[in-house]
Amino acid sequence: MIWEVFRQEKPGDYHRHVGNVHAPDRDMAKLFAQIQHARRMQTNSLWVVPQEEVGEVDTEDAAFGGRTDKAYRWAMTYNDIDSSFAQEVEDSEAEQREAARKRREQLESEGQR
Amino acid sequence: MDIETVKERAGPRQFGPNDDMPEEYRKAATRMIQFHANSEVMGGYLDKEFTRHAPSLDRKLANTAKVQDEIGHAQLLYRAAETLGVKTRDEMLDELQNGEGKFLNCFHYPVDSWYEAPMIDFFVDGGAMRRQATLKSTSWTPYAHAMDKVCFEEGFHVKHGESILRELMRGSKATQERTQETFEEWWPRILQFFGPTNDQSTHNDFAMDVGLKTVTNDELRNSFLNMYVPKAEKYGLEIPESPRIFERDDGTMAVRESDLDWDEFWTIAKNDSDGSHEQIGSRARRQEAVAWVRDSLDNWEGSAAGTPQAAD
Repeated sequence: MIWEVFRQEKPGDYHRHVGNVHAPDRDMAKLFAQIQHARRMQTNSLWVVPQEEVGEVDTEDAAFGGRTDKAYRWAMTYNDIDSSFAQEVEDSEAEQREAARKRREQLESEGQR
Repeated sequence: MDIETVKERAGPRQFGPNDDMPEEYRKAATRMIQFHANSEVMGGYLDKEFTRHAPSLDRKLANTAKVQDEIGHAQLLYRAAETLGVKTRDEMLDELQNGEGKFLNCFHYPVDSWYEAPMIDFFVDGGAMRRQATLKSTSWTPYAHAMDKVCFEEGFHVKHGESILRELMRGSKATQERTQETFEEWWPRILQFFGPTNDQSTHNDFAMDVGLKTVTNDELRNSFLNMYVPKAEKYGLEIPESPRIFERDDGTMAVRESDLDWDEFWTIAKNDSDGSHEQIGSRARRQEAVAWVRDSLDNWEGSAAGTPQAAD
């Protein structure tokens, strides 16, 4: 049985997917995950999840984030407004810009395929 | 964990569902997150009115996107509240419906014009985002995680709100005057958004001691004034003479709290103003009207078709 492994570095961090292990049951999966994914990495907590319990939807099934123009829902669209007066608004816009950049890259790479 | 240990360990993202938290902490955190979640729902319901009034297709689209975001925030927050094990999501939604659930003062005032859109979408949302940014450092980790996603989205709301204000204040003289009138009506409510002074706030000390809150009401209100008064003035809004705003010794701005109507505020806090009844009632009726959707989801989940089979 395959178990997907999620590792959290520090308390308060998200658990991030780091790989999977082959194990007959949950206890063994926890042990293998510990050895394979936490032995030399800073770790606060590990999750193991049976692979077949993970539901997946991928780019074959869905158009993520939509292909239609939804510029109206991005902070960058309102570029006649200066967000620098409030750190939190500026941060939010920077995060959105980064998300949009990754999204664009993905669309471009799909176009080249 | 006892309360003394909680206070000692209190810090950003310090506690989570795996920690054995004392009841006092879990209750305080539930009260705070439930209030926040309720406010997202009621803010979303209030905001949806603006879609009808929006003057262009772009504004209508942006507004519906915003309402969708707000309801999504409520979903995240009810999940974060549920992880404390004090109340279920259904209990919290029922409380909102039967008038027990508390939410932000500004969402107790029904709206019916586009001039009110920037009051909510710029000033109230701007204030809310100030507060939410500080809650990324709350001690209850699921709450902090919800804030990561909420703050990611809020930048669009605040900028869109400011864009509406800018557009209105560049409109005709009549439009500018109507916007100013609306601003004068909303300004005291916006100042009360951050609640009463620290010494009047009942839950403040404990929430600070255990790291649920990291910044006081006063600090938030003052930083809001320092950022948003110049913005209002930039677009030609005049700050009303009352409530009085004054400069403190350190150069920051503050408000004379005695100029604000605290009877109104506390009536609202009890969900007992006319506006409270109207807003809670109209949401309750809609909640009722879509009961069949929830029922069919529950039936599906309860039937064999919706139940995932155990892996082991």
